[in-house]
Order: sequence, then C-alpha cells, then structure tokens
Amino acid sequence: MSAAWSLASASAIGIDWLLEAIAPAGDFGRRTRAGERIFGPGDEAAALAAIAAVDRVAHAFAPARLDELSATLAAAPDPGLLVARALAGDVLADAEFFEVLRLLDALIEARAAIEGFDGFELPDSERELRAALAAGRSPQRTFYLDSEFDAELAAAREAAATCQAAYDAARGRIASRVVRALGVEHVREGEFVVMRDSLKGSVPPEIHVVREAPTYLLCELVLDDAALATLALRAVADERIAELEERVRIRLSALVRENAATLEAQCARLGELDVLIARARFAQRYDTIVPEIVTSATLAFEAAHYLPLATTLQTHGRRYEPVSLDLAGAGVITGPNMGGKSAALRTCGFLAACVALGLPVPARNARLSLFEEITWLGATPSDEEDARAERGLLSAFGAEIVELRAFFERGAQRPLVLIDEFARTTSPREGRALLIALLERLRTLGVCALATTHLSNIAADAGVVHYVVAGLRELPPQAEGAVDLDAALAQIADAMDYSIARVAERALPRADAIDLAGILGLDAGLIARAREVL
Amino acid sequence: MRDAGALLLARARATGARSLAVVGTAKNAGKTVAIAAVAAALHAERTPFGLCSVGRDGESIDALEAIAKPRLFLRAGTVFATAAALLPRHPAVEILEVRAERGALGPIAIVRVRAPGFFEIAGPSSASAVRRIVQHLLELTGFAVIDGAVDRIAALRNSEDAIVVAVGATAATQAHALDDVCALVARLRLPRFDAARPALHVAGALTAGMAAELVRAGERRQVVVADPTQVAFGGRAFLALAVHLTLRCERELRPIACTVAPRSPQRAFEPRSFLRAVAAATGLPTYDVYAGEEAA
Repeated sequence: MSAAWSLASASAIGIDWLLEAIAPAGDFGRRTRAGERIFGPGDEAAALAAIAAVDRVAHAFAPARLDELSATLAAAPDPGLLVARALAGDVLADAEFFEVLRLLDALIEARAAIEGFDGFELPDSERELRAALAAGRSPQRTFYLDSEFDAELAAAREAAATCQAAYDAARGRIASRVVRALGVEHVREGEFVVMRDSLKGSVPPEIHVVREAPTYLLCELVLDDAALATLALRAVADERIAELEERVRIRLSALVRENAATLEAQCARLGELDVLIARARFAQRYDTIVPEIVTSATLAFEAAHYLPLATTLQTHGRRYEPVSLDLAGAGVITGPNMGGKSAALRTCGFLAACVALGLPVPARNARLSLFEEITWLGATPSDEEDARAERGLLSAFGAEIVELRAFFERGAQRPLVLIDEFARTTSPREGRALLIALLERLRTLGVCALATTHLSNIAADAGVVHYVVAGLRELPPQAEGAVDLDAALAQIADAMDYSIARVAERALPRADAIDLAGILGLDAGLIARAREVL
Repeated sequence: MRDAGALLLARARATGARSLAVVGTAKNAGKTVAIAAVAAALHAERTPFGLCSVGRDGESIDALEAIAKPRLFLRAGTVFATAAALLPRHPAVEILEVRAERGALGPIAIVRVRAPGFFEIAGPSSASAVRRIVQHLLELTGFAVIDGAVDRIAALRNSEDAIVVAVGATAATQAHALDDVCALVARLRLPRFDAARPALHVAGALTAGMAAELVRAGERRQVVVADPTQVAFGGRAFLALAVHLTLRCERELRPIACTVAPRSPQRAFEPRSFLRAVAAATGLPTYDVYAGEEAA
C-alpha cells in the first residue's frame, strides 16, 4: 500500500486509526493489504466496485458470523516456510503436515462460512491434498503418520509391537526373579542400587554389578538370551519402521510440492477474504454507506462521522455532532473556537481516505471524488512538537511554508488540501495576505480545498466559498471559582450548534472566544477587561 | 527396595494435587530420573498424563555441559509438550496441536506417544506460557508432570502443583548439597503471613539487595511476598538473610518431598546417609529413586 498522504497528514486526519480499524486478522490478510494500492483519479469504477463488495458482505452476513470467520482466518497457519522447504526437495516433518491440515481446515471453514454468498470465490482446489493426508487425520483433528498410509508400515509396526511385548514379558520374568531373590517390592528400569546390608546371601545371577561401593552395589539386570533376542528383533523392526515412516513423509512432501501453487493461491484468497471481512466488520460497526464517486473535484456529505473523534467522545459519554458539507473547489470555514472547524476538515480528509482505501463511508449520504493526494497544512493534533523537533530549527510557520512548497513541487493534478489556520503563528496582516494568495492559487488550479481561519473576509478577498459554524446557541453560565473541566466541556458541547452553513463571502466570523474563556474558568476580571478592549 | 515413583505419586495425590513438578537444586540433581520414575508409575497404573518442561530436558547429552544424561523413555499414550523442532523422525508421534507458545527452539507442539521411545522435552521460555501449557495438559489428560528448570521456579507461580525437590551429588561435599537443598526447600515452604501482625508487603520480587537493606534497617515486621517464587535469591544468600527476617508469603506453594541422586558424573555420596541427612535437614519425606528407599 503506497500512501497518498504524508505521515503528518495521516496523523491529522486519523488514517492511523482507520488502518487499525480495518486491520486484517491474520498474516495472509496483512500481506494482502501491504500489497494493495490506494485508489486515485481514474480508479473510480474499481474503487466503487471494491466499496460495493465490502457493503455487500456487511449486509449479507451477521456480525457474529463475520467475527467467527475472522477468528478462523486469524488462526490459519502460514505455510510459506514449509512450502518453500518442500519445493527445495526437503522431506517435511510431521508437525509440518499437521500445519498443512490446519490450513486446509481453515479453507473448509471459510468456504462453509461464505456458502451461498456469490461475491467471493474460494474454490475447493486443495481437495487432492486433503484426501492424500486424510489417512493421518483423526476426528479430533490430530495428525499421525498412520499405518493406513502404507501397508508395509502397518506390518512393521505390528512386528515391533509383538517384539516389544515379548521383550517386556522376558524382562518382567527376570525382574520378578530378582524381586523374589532380593526380597524387595520393585526393581526399577535401568541402573538401581542394592544396599549391601539388605542383601540376603549372594548377588542373584540375573544381576550385573556395575560398580561396588563399601555400602552398596550399583546394579542392572542381566538380560537372558530370550530377552536379548527379542530386543534384537525389536531393533530391526524399529529400523524398518523408521525407513517406512520416512518413505511416507517423502511421498507426502512430494504431494505438498505438487500442490505448492494451489496452496499459495488459496493463501492469497484467504488474504483477500481477510481484508474484505475486516472492512465489512468496519462497515457494520459504523453503519457506513456506499458513496457516489464523481470525477470532478467534489466533497459533499451529510451527517458524516469523523470516527476517531466520535469513538473517543463516546467512550467519555459525550455527544458527537455529525458534520454536513458541500464543497466543490476551494472554501473557507469560519466560526467560534471549539465549534468543530478542524473536525470538519478532518471529516473531509477521513471520508476521502475511506474512499481511497476502498471503504464505504460513515455518513448518511456522500458524493466525492478520488484524490491524488490528501495534504494537511497547519496544526497537527498530537505530534506537532515531535514533528517540529524533527524539522530542527524550523519554526511552526517555517514548517508550514516548507510543507506548502513541497505540495506545489509535487504538482498533484487532483489533490485535496485541508488548511487548518494557516500562518496563524505569524503577523495577522501578513498571514492573512498569504492565506488569500494561497486560496486564490488553489481556486485558479481548480483544487478542492478547505481552510479554517479566524481572520475576516478571507473568502471574499480570495473569491472562494464561505462556510460558517453556527456557534453557541445560548451562553452557558460563566464559571465562578474552580472549574470542573469535564463539566465545562460538556456544557459547551451542549450549548454549541455545530452545524455548518454556506454564507455570504463577507459574513463576519463569529468568535465567542471571550465567552468560552469565561466558561472554561478564566478569571472574571480578565474576562471583563477583554470585553472592554474589544 | 520400593517404587519411588509410585510413592511420590501417592504423596502428591494425598495433597489433592493434579500436577507434580520436580525442581532441582542444580543441574544433574536427578530431576529426570525422578520424572521418569513418576512417569513409569503413572504408566503402570494406566493413568493418562501430560508431561512438559520449563527448560530443555531429556536430551541424551547435556546441551550445556556435554555430560551424558538419562533420557526420557515414554510409553504409548503419554502426552507431552516440546519444541516442534525437537520431535524425532522416529518413532513418529501423534501431533495434537502446535501452540502459539514458543521456546528457544520455536513453537511448542503437544503430542501423544504412539510407540515407545526416547524423547527430548523442551518447554516454553516464559513462566506464564508454562502455566498455560500445564493447564492444557490437565484438560487433555487429567494429570500433569512438570520438569522444572534449575532455579526457574517462577513457573510454579499461581500453581497448585505438588513440588518435589531433587538434590544430587553435584555440590563439592554432602554438607554443601544439604545447604543447597535446605535453602531451596525453605524458600518454597515460606509460610503464609499472619494478617493480625504487622507486615511489610513487597510488590513484585524481593531481591537479595532489598533483603539486605531490610536486615540492615532492623526490619521486625513480617516481610511478605505474593508467593515464594517472588523471592529472587536462593542458596546460601537465602539462608544467611532469611534467618534475620520474618519472610512470609500471601500464597503458599506445596513442596511435598525430596529425591536424592547420590551419584553424579563428578562424585558419589553414600546413598543411605545422604538420604537420611536430606530428610532430616528439610523435614520432608525423601526418596532415593535408585535404591527405592524412603526416609522421613
């Protein structure tokens, strides 16, 4: 997957969050996603088909069924190494055949899970391999190099078992004689110690003394001819079994080698399915829709959710206000602090990223184009300081300018440019001039761009569309004394009308900054003085 | 001469344990011999059981010291956990599962012996992974035998294992071997703390340095660790420091017996005197697996 956004832009619009939300469950899926391309201009039909496929799966399956399938795909073993070994002519080990069978199980389960759904093909092309390994499979899904694989192996094992029983019986007879002779309860296998003071009479002939010590004898049983004969026969049988077991492994390894391409193709299909399932689960979780994809630089949506913020607010028990906007070309968005201007920008970027990744979008409806790149200019949410440190001696303003220069040098034909209070850290007069010049340029180039600002008359002077956030419906009571920040934020959220409307280019932006400062607990004297100055 | 494996098993069962762990005072302390004896006893009574190791064991030559070691001869039906890479080509085993847990030699497989043979047992690296494997073996078979690694008793944490301490002729003298086994048994037998008396609860491991500081500070309260495996020092350092502190634990372990291996590649102790000395010093019933003798 090659990015159509810089790391800073990805961070600003929540692409990291999005990628995590659609992360495949298993290795195959992760590999598939790594090789995916991002949809850009010209890919409209392909993007729409991909989005529609996700939507179909999301509607065709119950969430629990997708969860089960996802768990199956997560547990499917990666046969890459064993297939490579088989192709190199190695004889595989039993644990590797077991892994092949686990993969074949995952294929069966995946096939069963998607049965009746005609949107994904998972042909039963591994049937021959499964049949060949079936002799080693138990109902408990274990694997053993069973005698059923080879008639000679069956005979050799039977012979070995007979030898073992004969040896056990012969050794048992000797051990019983020793037990009686020594007057003990038990003689252990291997070496054992006989204390001299417990020895009644001489050492029985069935005992060989390995070592004599003053107080004890280290002994072992002496096997008689009958026991030695069975032992020799067992050794021969063992050798034959080892040979035959290896013969079966050679045959099965050859089968794996012959089916290597099939296995690899099936793994690739499982990867595609994993990616599709992960996206369908995203679509179910966030109630997404298939957007209309157009070829002109457009970004229009109703009741869209910027999910990274919406989910965070939800975990804090706070309300999220969906965003609606209709943008074609360049525009400016003004309004009070904490009114959702930056969130509106991020929503634009987030929806554009969803479509670029082949995802349905979290909105009531949406019409948008594919963009060659998504560029964020201005403050980044959390890693601003880190990013600035990486830029060495560049100030925030310098960093913005460098980023903007790089944007123009890339010369993208259809970018989406999201500008969050550009040049806010320089003099307002010159910053205003720069912002107007930038918007004029973007308008002239026909770029889809949206800029937030607190500066006046930018839209009119740059000749672009003006949107405004409605702002506070009513003024919540000003805080006195210590402020509970969570309560103050909730109060602001309740009082704020986050709706965005298109207004006349010269409409004055609402600020509400002094009121908000009061609600957030700034001391009353300072607030009063600010009102006087204003 | 009695079957020491059967006697150990009976002692474990008498405590209600469904698992038995053998830990040694040092390498070549006779753990594998004790494990083999218990495995043979379980097999003789046809009880299904699972076997796993905290470290690597059962190899014919000690991987670190190149000394010949007793190998684990396992009968058909035995379930064991080992690194998949260590499974023998012959005799073939039944692969029950390849687990997510890994050891130094790669993923751990759970297998069932189908034909008797000698096997190498190598368990996972982490104590928590060992506990998960043991739990799984219990679900599969009903009884588990754990071959503990030298001084890696962390694997006993949060367990209900009956613990057998193996001591061999590995120290320079019998007196040193007795010190070693006394220190390990004392550590494993830390009593439960008295809630009615003042206590200093140690979060995490109690190191030798921390214990020395407490001794220097004249600590008189009970020094309480979560369980004995959280005492992160043993041997003579433990004996020297423990005598000055009231070491206690929140959750006791269950050491039930000792085994002696009076012979090692380096030296031999007189079997009966060693057996009796270990029993007397530790206060635990002690067994000589080779001689089939018991001292209490």
